[in-house]
Amino acid sequence: MGISRDSRHKRSHTGAQRPQYRKKRKFELGRQPAQTKLGQKSIHPIKTRGGNFKFRALRLDTGNFSWGSESVTRKTRIVDVVYNASNNELVRTQTLVKGAIIQIDAAPFRQWYERHYGLPLGKKGKKAQDASAAASEELSKKKSNHLQRKIDGRKKDAKIEQALDDQFGSGRLYARIASRPGQSGRCDGYILEGKELEFYVRKIRTKK
Amino acid sequence: MSWSRKPPIPSLQNERAFLKQDAVFNNAKLAARKGGDKEKRWYKEVGLGFKTPKEAKEGTYVDKKCPFTGDVSIRGRILTGVVRSTKMKRTIIIRRDYLHYIAKYNRYEKRHRNLAAHLSPCFVGVEVGDVVTVGQCRPLSKTVRFNVLRVSKAQTKTSKRFQKF
Repeated sequence: MGISRDSRHKRSHTGAQRPQYRKKRKFELGRQPAQTKLGQKSIHPIKTRGGNFKFRALRLDTGNFSWGSESVTRKTRIVDVVYNASNNELVRTQTLVKGAIIQIDAAPFRQWYERHYGLPLGKKGKKAQDASAAASEELSKKKSNHLQRKIDGRKKDAKIEQALDDQFGSGRLYARIASRPGQSGRCDGYILEGKELEFYVRKIRTKK
Repeated sequence: MSWSRKPPIPSLQNERAFLKQDAVFNNAKLAARKGGDKEKRWYKEVGLGFKTPKEAKEGTYVDKKCPFTGDVSIRGRILTGVVRSTKMKRTIIIRRDYLHYIAKYNRYEKRHRNLAAHLSPCFVGVEVGDVVTVGQCRPLSKTVRFNVLRVSKAQTKTSKRFQKF
């Protein structure tokens, strides 16, 4: 392969050249990066040291994302890579890496919210009243008395921040990848909220 | 008695990625309801009798390599030295002097070693010549394997002077 992770080839702390006194060893090996792209799932298992396996995801299209403030996690489709703090190239090539900001499909989370709180999401102001008349099937489903009481009890906690609400309107949420697709073969993460969301939205806007 | 306006808190988000402590989750929902201004902060005791500085507990900096508010553990050697240079970002060079015994002549000679140590932002105003205690941690960079745990101000003026510890 050729990629090694040793430090023997580097100069020492004082700047002295270190002589090469042995060949590359297997335990110092490095492998080619995965450069996971968006697309139909394609994962290669790789046998690693100790007989263990790493799952190199070459193409992924879904991931498990959690909504922190509501403590809900759903498997969703990944739509778009939007921002990468390390390298703009990775955004252009739509590469999935840990720490990248992506857009995910909001549908599963909206469904959960409507089921849990019985309120519509992502509809602005006046439209909310009209929209709820032509409501989604979750909202217009017939609920038992017991269930209705439970939902009413939750209503006061139902308010979510405006920035998130707007995203639901467009059907896409900003999320951050927290797993390492080239190591675990999964693209999991969390939905951006609060200060972090504000920070990244600003960064994305200034880039455009 | 004059009342001065508090200077605006400088933004600590100077990097391209959002800086935050991994151990802390600022629930946006709760924050909106309670309207709390205080940021949650995570810190730990490093052990071995070292006190966590007040600045680490109350500050707003984010440093994943800080022994008090970051993801490093102090284990192994604890050494002391004199600060020789503070020009690097969040790391310093320490000079450790020692005597080496030459058996043939029954005498000692002076030797010194430089050590790179990570300096957490909780230690403010560290200058050349200060005496510093560092603890061993996992490799933080090519040459940094130590983390500053305690700083005591310099008494003497010179730093290049031989000081045995």
